[in-house]
Amino acid sequence: MNKVLLFLILLPKGLWRMLGADVAQLRAVLGAKLMLDDRRPMAMGKGQGAKKKPFKFMTALSVLISVVIGFMYIIPLMMTDKFMGLWLYFTVFLLMLSFMLISDFSTVLFDKRDNSILLPRPVNERTLLLSRLLHMFIYLFRIVFPMSLAGWVVLGYAKGWAAALWFPVMILQLTVIALFLVNACYLMILRFAKPGRFKDIINYFQIAFSVLFFACVYLMPRAMNNTDFQEMKHTDYAWAVYTPTYWLSAAWSWIETDKLSAATKWISILAIVGPLLLVWLIVKYLSPSFAKRIGNIDDERTEGKAEEGATIAVTAVAKKDKLYLKLAALLNKNPLSKAGFIIAWLQTTRSRNFKMRVYPTFAYVPVYFVYLISQSKKPLSEVWEGLPQSSTHILLLYMTSFIVLQLLSMLVYSDQYKASWVYYSSPIARPGDVMVGAFKGVWLKYFIPMFAVVSGFVFWVWGIGSLLDIALAFINITLLALSVLRIAYRRLPFSAMERMNEKGNRFFKTMFVMILPMGLGFGHYWTTITPWLWWMKLVFILLSSILLWLLWDSYKHTSWDEVKKVDLSS
Amino acid sequence: MKPILTLQNVSKQYGDKTVLNDVTLDIYPGQVIGYIGPNGAGKSTTVKILTGVIQDYTGTVLLNGVDIKEDILALKQMIGYVPELADIYDLLTPNEYLHFVGALYHMPDALIKERSGRILKAFGLQDNIDQRMDRFSKGMRQKVLLTSGLLHNPEIVILDEPMSGLDANAVIVVKELLQVLKQEGKTIFYCSHMMDVVERVSDRIVLIDKGTIIANGTIEALRAGSDSSLEKIFAQMTTGENLNATAGDIAAAMKG
Repeated sequence: MNKVLLFLILLPKGLWRMLGADVAQLRAVLGAKLMLDDRRPMAMGKGQGAKKKPFKFMTALSVLISVVIGFMYIIPLMMTDKFMGLWLYFTVFLLMLSFMLISDFSTVLFDKRDNSILLPRPVNERTLLLSRLLHMFIYLFRIVFPMSLAGWVVLGYAKGWAAALWFPVMILQLTVIALFLVNACYLMILRFAKPGRFKDIINYFQIAFSVLFFACVYLMPRAMNNTDFQEMKHTDYAWAVYTPTYWLSAAWSWIETDKLSAATKWISILAIVGPLLLVWLIVKYLSPSFAKRIGNIDDERTEGKAEEGATIAVTAVAKKDKLYLKLAALLNKNPLSKAGFIIAWLQTTRSRNFKMRVYPTFAYVPVYFVYLISQSKKPLSEVWEGLPQSSTHILLLYMTSFIVLQLLSMLVYSDQYKASWVYYSSPIARPGDVMVGAFKGVWLKYFIPMFAVVSGFVFWVWGIGSLLDIALAFINITLLALSVLRIAYRRLPFSAMERMNEKGNRFFKTMFVMILPMGLGFGHYWTTITPWLWWMKLVFILLSSILLWLLWDSYKHTSWDEVKKVDLSS
Repeated sequence: MKPILTLQNVSKQYGDKTVLNDVTLDIYPGQVIGYIGPNGAGKSTTVKILTGVIQDYTGTVLLNGVDIKEDILALKQMIGYVPELADIYDLLTPNEYLHFVGALYHMPDALIKERSGRILKAFGLQDNIDQRMDRFSKGMRQKVLLTSGLLHNPEIVILDEPMSGLDANAVIVVKELLQVLKQEGKTIFYCSHMMDVVERVSDRIVLIDKGTIIANGTIEALRAGSDSSLEKIFAQMTTGENLNATAGDIAAAMKG
């Protein structure tokens, strides 16, 4: 696919030469960049794919994924109010495209290797500039075209050839708007954030993108079954008129004149003029300012490496926040446990890979919850009113365990696993002491706050009667976590490299381990749907607490023979 | 004098490949051992065995006459290890990392703070103590690693290419530090490619090639009456080739 794209893009050789580029060098640079794209994991797969063996046909895969994502957007097109459907289609498309570009594009734009690989070579500026622009164009084409394919076919089939011809124009306008949003967003970040934080902020965009993607996949098909959603009318949302995607929808009036009011027709002009204005803004103001600031980032990256003795602010860690030290001292008597607590706390705070893989799981809890309670065709207001009479809170409480597997795997797996040599050369009598401290650290920092929020919600909706349920669920999930840790991840913190071939083995182990707490969970549910069995909850609390204590003790006493070691021989 | 560390017929294999082959070596207290050899000769494997990082070897390693497998913690407590450009949890600051390492040696916080502050200051890193190490240069990381290896005032110091990435001034500091540690009676096991330093600071030089010790003695003994530098002795013993001719071949290939 890359070869075809490269061939097509280099067809107008005369044009590129006229613009001052060296075509042979342009081919070499673009060829290398496209090959790199092919071997780079995508934003949405970064958590799983990073640092792994690259997939050979990444471009083909990304095109395929874009086609599938495109199918998801067309769901609103089935709505009763066609204008509303079209507005939602364009809005979701624009949002997803913008997030995708911010998440993925930054690595293309800010490839610092250009400075050391391309700049010292005899390549002129025009060739470099053109290679960058053409690379962006190919990159966009590879996303936008397959993503719009489903909508194109559906609208072309439903509305005829005029719609089929008009649609690409609208998508082009939409792409320009997305480019503007992305540029503006980058500029805002560069303006308000310190250069060293740039990557961190992009990381948060990647997290938001994965959550948005997940929410769309789960909630959009569900929404179509909901009568409230199907009957939504654009006239009920007066503010929508200010959104560019409304203008794009209005622009359909040019081919469907009978369906729209005079006011909407007038607004449709904005769909054409607006993006042109945005192009002008991008070219005139945003791009130069952007290029200048990117230059600063590059300078900061190459020159700004922390110099010895120099006090640079970018990566300085403020001394003010010592809460973790107080907590570490308060919760750990053993100095090894304290060290485990601190390393777990600090590493998880700063590791982008950790955030990328764990943070989205927090959002999965409410998304799954809404997904599950909206299964009936009832309006949401009715579902909401019926909640306190249901036992859904048990489900919600146990949903917090979604985070457990990801959290615990990220506690032992790390890209920096080789730095764990320090455990092996230190006089640690019992690695369990370090491990137990690390578990306390992540449990306190990530699980307990999330569980507190969910418990607060449960208490608010289900009342005081839910307190026993909250207590039992907390003990059971902690039991589940320790069981998983004890059986599948009995390792020192951040000391292992994740291998694909271990995953399957670990999956079965984890499933096996989860049978016990899952059984407890079902027991819990059973005592809730059978009101006269409420006292069984107390029995379960006692039983689970005993099991938890035994497991905790066993995990704490993990010896060097029992801990899984990493191969540090190379 | 009794050796503080003894390797008796130590061998280590990775799959079919023998990395260490029947290595026997005595290390005496207060001695500086220069451990040299080409890449892949088995230097780092020896070091990892001596530091307790690798434990699945054959043969015996004795600490003060006792097999280290009987009390590996006693060995680890006595040893300060500085690996070659090792991985480090670089999302932490030097201060946080050194507190973490110090805790693994059961050192009190106040002592860690005092010692790490003083050593880092001597290395010129006092202003970087609260900055994350992910933006540190190689040399700065190496200084933090050196600090972490010396923090608990070990009796035996094992240094694997400690000068990697260091700037010229820091190299001078480390050379002087080796002398000071030697005067304080520390036992130093020093792996390096920097022959001039090895030649200058070592009481005894051990040369390993393809997993086997091929020379073991003072620099005078290795010279065997000649005035050759350690660099030349090393080249002769490990390659047996004329390295000047190799350089000539490369230059000729560039022109052809």
